[in-house]
Amino acid sequence: MDNAIVTVKNLTHRFRLSKKAVIKAVDDVSFTIQKGEIFGLVGESGSGKSTVARCIMNIYQPTAGEILFHDVNTCDKTAFRQNRKLLQTARQLIFQDSASSLNQRMKVADIIAEPMKINHITPPRGSYREEAAFQLRYVGMDENYLDKYPSEMSGGQRQRVAIARALSMEPELLVADEPIASLDVSIQAQIVNLFKHLQKEHGFSILFIAHDLAMVEYLCDRIGVMYRGKLVELAETAELFAHPLHPYTQMLLSAIPYPDPIRERNRPRMNTEDMIFDTEGTFREIRPNHFVLTKEAAL
Amino acid sequence: MENLLEIKNLSVSIGTGSGKVEAVRDVSLTLHPGEVLAIVGESGCGKSMLCKSILKLLPRNAVIESGSILANGVDITKYRERDMAKLRGKLFSMVFQDPMTALDPTMTVGSQIAEAVITHNPKLPKAKVYERVIELMELVGIQQPEQRYKLYPYNFSGGMRQRSVMAIALAANPQILLADEPTTALDVTIQAQILDLLKDIQKKLNTATILVSHDLGVVARAADRVAIMYAGRIVEIGTAEEIYYDPRHPYTWGLMRSLPALAKGKRELYTIPGMPPSLIDPPKGDAFACRNEYALAIDYEQAPPMFRITDTHYAATWLLDPRAPKIERPVGGSVHG
Amino acid sequence: MTIKRNRAAYYGKKLLIFLVSVILLSMTVFVISRLTPTDPLQAYYGERTEKMSVEEKEWARNKLGLNDPIPTQYIRWAQNALKGEFGISYKYKQDVVQVIAKRMNNTLILGGIGFVLTFAGSLLLGILCAWFEDSWLDKLLCKLGTIVSCIPEFWFSLVLILIFCVQLKWLPSSGAYSVGKADDLMDRIIHLILPMIVVIIEHLWYYAYMIRNKILEEVRADYVLLCKSKGLSKRQIMFRHCLRNILPTYISLMAISVPHIIGGTYIVETVFSYPGIGTLSYESARYADYNMLMILCMMTGITVIFFNIIGQIINERIDPRVKANEVVETSEVSEG
Repeated sequence: MDNAIVTVKNLTHRFRLSKKAVIKAVDDVSFTIQKGEIFGLVGESGSGKSTVARCIMNIYQPTAGEILFHDVNTCDKTAFRQNRKLLQTARQLIFQDSASSLNQRMKVADIIAEPMKINHITPPRGSYREEAAFQLRYVGMDENYLDKYPSEMSGGQRQRVAIARALSMEPELLVADEPIASLDVSIQAQIVNLFKHLQKEHGFSILFIAHDLAMVEYLCDRIGVMYRGKLVELAETAELFAHPLHPYTQMLLSAIPYPDPIRERNRPRMNTEDMIFDTEGTFREIRPNHFVLTKEAAL
Repeated sequence: MENLLEIKNLSVSIGTGSGKVEAVRDVSLTLHPGEVLAIVGESGCGKSMLCKSILKLLPRNAVIESGSILANGVDITKYRERDMAKLRGKLFSMVFQDPMTALDPTMTVGSQIAEAVITHNPKLPKAKVYERVIELMELVGIQQPEQRYKLYPYNFSGGMRQRSVMAIALAANPQILLADEPTTALDVTIQAQILDLLKDIQKKLNTATILVSHDLGVVARAADRVAIMYAGRIVEIGTAEEIYYDPRHPYTWGLMRSLPALAKGKRELYTIPGMPPSLIDPPKGDAFACRNEYALAIDYEQAPPMFRITDTHYAATWLLDPRAPKIERPVGGSVHG
Repeated sequence: MTIKRNRAAYYGKKLLIFLVSVILLSMTVFVISRLTPTDPLQAYYGERTEKMSVEEKEWARNKLGLNDPIPTQYIRWAQNALKGEFGISYKYKQDVVQVIAKRMNNTLILGGIGFVLTFAGSLLLGILCAWFEDSWLDKLLCKLGTIVSCIPEFWFSLVLILIFCVQLKWLPSSGAYSVGKADDLMDRIIHLILPMIVVIIEHLWYYAYMIRNKILEEVRADYVLLCKSKGLSKRQIMFRHCLRNILPTYISLMAISVPHIIGGTYIVETVFSYPGIGTLSYESARYADYNMLMILCMMTGITVIFFNIIGQIINERIDPRVKANEVVETSEVSEG
């Protein structure tokens, strides 16, 4: 546990709509992301997984709890100010919808070079353009795209540009918020391969947020399952898929579609729309490195 | 009357600033009563356009270039908007991808369903309309319909909204239901339930369904037959068993192999190299040739015809020509389980 | 309870903005009017000023309080205004309120009817163009509308006067009624025709075009596809769904347009010598009738600011994000 790059401790984030209505988007969530690890966070829409990512990226200020990046408490304003440069370059974010997160009026070359310019980093490969070209090649696109606008590219290509932009800062942590959700299956596979590839070469950590368990299983080393703002289960990928303990995880896993008509047709059906799972209890280690939110001491 | 819907050599193009996009190219298709036909392909392959051209819900800049659409043996290709309005809802209706925007935000869900009921049955007394709406809401699995009747779309979850859209689509007992990526915008757990619902409805009401999706994994649960579309054409069509256990087109292989569920234990996910071609000026020959590791010389020259494999299974690839070299298929045959 | 307090704070803030704007406006108008080179005595004594000696003029100025420093004058004016006394008109030698009251009806008739007709007309035109989108009718109306709305109001008025009053002699060129026929309804209507036409035509297209585009935006919305696929006719979709959805925009457009149309009405009044607030404002500025100018500017300004704030409030109320928040609120409550 000494190798943690991000430590989330008892993170709680409430959205205050008015003085009366408060939504607990994230409720008492704790986990760590190790150096060089791909950590997956899954859950349905509204489960709070994106809010966790945004708290880690300092987009939201958490209501309670703390988040350590290395040893820096990023929620603390003085600590944040003192380490601003480190925090702004070493952590990079990739959004789901690159069509709207990339500036439509900027060319690819400028999009990739922008964070370097903002942070006054001298491009290691001569000019900003050279650097942009390098990063672009790195994510599997050629230089012809340097002068294109985001609207001239496909969703997969835009996502690659967003990744190239993040990589230009040589981050230690990449937070990817549903980066493949709006892509076609075959393009999803390309981007996931790219993530895996880049991680191996750079050795950075990835917080990968998704609702598609099948892709997460393939990509991630450890997986956290979120449900209604709570982290309900946390385990290594193989362990989680082999022994899902929380009923919600079990249901999520059984919902993964499998491209086999006979198997699919025989799969028992479920009705979850009005199903509510228990989010009471404490987070316990039931099996080695396998944590579950549960009331009973043993399952 | 064997075929509920028959599409013959349909071509649809969209006029854009940079040229004419040939969105659907020479597609022929039949739909039998009471079956679920899945159309699978990547975004931009024309699957959505194909659907919308059947209902004539095409955007203003799109036109049917050639071909015909026969519904119950009647050619509706030349039907005007007024005639189409009479068929929509009754003969066929549609469910859309994004249930968040498909409902009118200013009207209660109940009255939107009621509107669909009244349109095709204007003389129905009010009490009967209400009864029918409640019945429809129960049919699509909306619990406590009486209370939810008066709610607005924004009070509903994504899955509930998609159920409401289906209730609207089913209001006049259509013979054909077209579902354009009905589960894409929904959570994984809700996806399966919407598919189950589609299947239930098809069983209960004997509605034939065209289910459009980009994910072969998702449609396996519901589809009786599957058509694979690529670059505006249907490249392979067959029963679900034939497509999943005995695929013949290299593109179908590619789609299957890139599914993570089949990549268990592999170090790298399979990806189809390259990107779909632009349909503004589609390539000569087979549009898939340049991404196809099994491409033959003739693929670059001449588009392959549909080769018959069985009476229900056809694929458009020169690999099925008797003169083609025999290759070892990367998928198929062994997936049974 | 808390929500109520929030709402009170919200409206309180708006009210504060309103008051500050009004005070700033009064100061600005007051100072600017004193800086103009016209002589207020001209308004008070008319031709006689030319015969007055310097001492007489000085005495008159003192009597009217025009020699005090501007801040003193302003404070005196403000104190009186708070008591409801706006002074007398130099030109009419009457309480300004009385003078204005006589003219108010005329402007309300012209502006009010113009406003209603403009909005009814622009909705109809907007629907018509959206219905026949891209047809020759739509294209023609769009082009014609653009041209017409580029014609300056005063010039357009003069052309109409030339054609209908000078050449054809069908309609009167000025006034609100013929001499001695103040109670004759027909006579008033005849006098209203030309000014009304200018007010409507000048504003009609601007709003019709906005409504057309808003409807077209709605027509392309996803829910229209669903409506079509359930078999609704184009007419049903347009009137039951699309119009309903543009209603909030339409209302806020109406609120924001009030100042716009008031401005137009004033110009038209001046050209047609129509005895309304517009002509009065013009006169008062021309003759440096300070008290009159102040109250007219304040009245117009307050109306403008008021409707701008109303427009703002409507816009903020229909903001989808506001709605979305309310949704979560209700769902939370139902769950709890």
